[in-house]
Amino acid sequence: MPSIIVQNIVKNFGSYIAVDDVSFSVEAGEIFGLLGPNGAGKTTSIRIILDIFKPDSGTVSILGGPMSEEKKNNIGYLPEERGLYQDIPLERCLVYLATLKGMENSLAQERVNKYLVRFDLIEWRKKKVKELSKGMQQKAQLITTLVHQPQIIVIDEPFSALDPVNTQMVKDLLREERDSGKTIIMCTHQMHQVEELCDRLVLIDHGQSMLYGTLHDVRKQFAKPAVALSTPDPLPALIPGVDSIKQENSDYTLHLLPGHSTQELLQTLVKANIHIEKFEIAMPTLDEIFIDVVQKQGAVQ
Amino acid sequence: MKKFWLIFSQEYKRHVLRRRFIFAILSMPIFVGFIALVSFLSVRMQYNGSTVGYIDSYSILSNPQPVPEKVSSLLPSANFVAYSSEVAARSDLNSEKIQAYFILSKDYLSNGEVTLMKGKKAGSNIESDFGSFLKYNLLAGQPAKVINRLTLGNNLIVRSADGTRELAANNWMAIAMPFIAGILFIIAVNISGGYLLQAVVEEKENRTMEILITSVSPSQLMGGKVIADLLVGLTELTIWIGFFLIALRFVPQWVSVGQTSNIDASSVLLMVATFLPAFVMIAAAMGAIGATATEAREAQQIAGLFTLPIVVPFWFSSAIMFNPNGPIALGLSMFPLTAPIALPLRAVFTNIPLWQIVVTIGLLCALAAFSVWLAGRVFRIGMLRYGKKVSFREVFRPQSFQGK
Repeated sequence: MPSIIVQNIVKNFGSYIAVDDVSFSVEAGEIFGLLGPNGAGKTTSIRIILDIFKPDSGTVSILGGPMSEEKKNNIGYLPEERGLYQDIPLERCLVYLATLKGMENSLAQERVNKYLVRFDLIEWRKKKVKELSKGMQQKAQLITTLVHQPQIIVIDEPFSALDPVNTQMVKDLLREERDSGKTIIMCTHQMHQVEELCDRLVLIDHGQSMLYGTLHDVRKQFAKPAVALSTPDPLPALIPGVDSIKQENSDYTLHLLPGHSTQELLQTLVKANIHIEKFEIAMPTLDEIFIDVVQKQGAVQ
Repeated sequence: MKKFWLIFSQEYKRHVLRRRFIFAILSMPIFVGFIALVSFLSVRMQYNGSTVGYIDSYSILSNPQPVPEKVSSLLPSANFVAYSSEVAARSDLNSEKIQAYFILSKDYLSNGEVTLMKGKKAGSNIESDFGSFLKYNLLAGQPAKVINRLTLGNNLIVRSADGTRELAANNWMAIAMPFIAGILFIIAVNISGGYLLQAVVEEKENRTMEILITSVSPSQLMGGKVIADLLVGLTELTIWIGFFLIALRFVPQWVSVGQTSNIDASSVLLMVATFLPAFVMIAAAMGAIGATATEAREAQQIAGLFTLPIVVPFWFSSAIMFNPNGPIALGLSMFPLTAPIALPLRAVFTNIPLWQIVVTIGLLCALAAFSVWLAGRVFRIGMLRYGKKVSFREVFRPQSFQGK
């Protein structure tokens, strides 16, 4: 049974429709991407899931039912608006927030220290939070999200302000969490991160769900008849069945004319004695899909 | 409930362990001490304890003796020396052996006429010192009881017509108590409300709201903060009162505390019963304001408005004293914002019917609970409005936000 089931949620702020009939579900042991441009309704959807807002209509089920005070202990949330107590030492701040998630003080202390070591913040534990750099505060916030080992992890733009080394470390951490059966919802604009990490995704624009499914299905759905080809030989200017050719060094993208198959193209290339190093169906990147969908939706609006 | 205590203890420690709090604690006694020192120095500068002469040509005083001095007196009375003639006294005044001299007239006993000749350095204390000297020596030979009575005056006891309440003039503490307690209450409300307001605004500025709200319920959050800030205010007050009591130990002869034992236990109880719910009500309302405001300074200004109705009974204190059952006294003692000062003050001068006390305190308790609920709700709505104000129309709109 999915850990999170969102069914037909609608949320209006006055005359503005922030979320319009959005549905999706998230399984345990997967990283789920919640994508969309700015102001699409992602954060509102997350706040509805976390019971900060009540939806005008529709339902949300978390771990088998509506949100309760007890279930809050099982949720780790990295909000878009980051914040920690600035005037107290880092360690005290993290331990306090961990105890608010139902942890005993001693256990919270122990776990916080483990994470501080892992996040390379242990030397800063006695420093006031305001003395930490933006990246360090971001890592500290991630510790707050994960330290109580929640069943559900909701993270909004987890990689902003992180350098490549820390980005990689957080990615590894999220994969670990997923592999241990946690349910992870990740909100982001960085499509390559989604491609790398997410198992399934939903794309929201103007409050509506535009795309929903596994990463592979979504890309397949948007795949145009094109082939990615690598060859050391020069290609003829005209190839039967090919509409246009894009070249980058020895890599080519061949867009086919309607009614022509990749199989025909392969035969044509072999007959022309062209040496083929790579021949595969070209899949669109998530970036391309994102722009394509958002632009189309913008045109409709 | 555990989370309520966590919020409470974090909030309490966060304020009390700050350097700012220590400064705030110390600033009051330092300020009062400074004022006391300046006042003392200004008196001391005008004081001169050196010898003063007097000429009693008509032997009005027989065998005059100096007034017995209190051992601990910081500014002892001037020493008086008799002169047989004004010529001798004037010569000593000119050579600054004495600072001044008094001449008792022939008809002193009938018209009280005394002439004072003083030099440039004469202290302002000599007139009252000479008055005491005269009184003491004129009464010489009377029984000690009579001297004491004449020195200390009467103790007027005012009794209510039904004979159930009485107030002695020398028990000024009973009258002063509601005033002092009222002032302390206002200070406490301002300190604690200020802390709460600051905490809520800081929470907004820190943007820790969403983390908190996905960890605890708004009522736990606001309840914990209100109670913690109440205690922060009380801690500060207790320490100040401690300083005050220590100061009293050192200067007991300066302040006559009166017959404190005559203070009615029931009036203290009434004060506590009124102050506590009123405190929670006002502090939580200040918290709610903090949650609607966008920055601390703005919140502080709005909160100042709360102090205004609380002090209103002070302006009407004579109406409450002289007509404690009149409409003004009754109205002020039952209106929630003015009740904390007006009810205990009124109780000193009249017997308040039990139903009025029950209704007033009941109303305060209900409003306190409502305030905490409201603060929690405003907090919840306000937290997600970074840089935007929350209108009270939104607060009472039923469906938009969860109202736990």
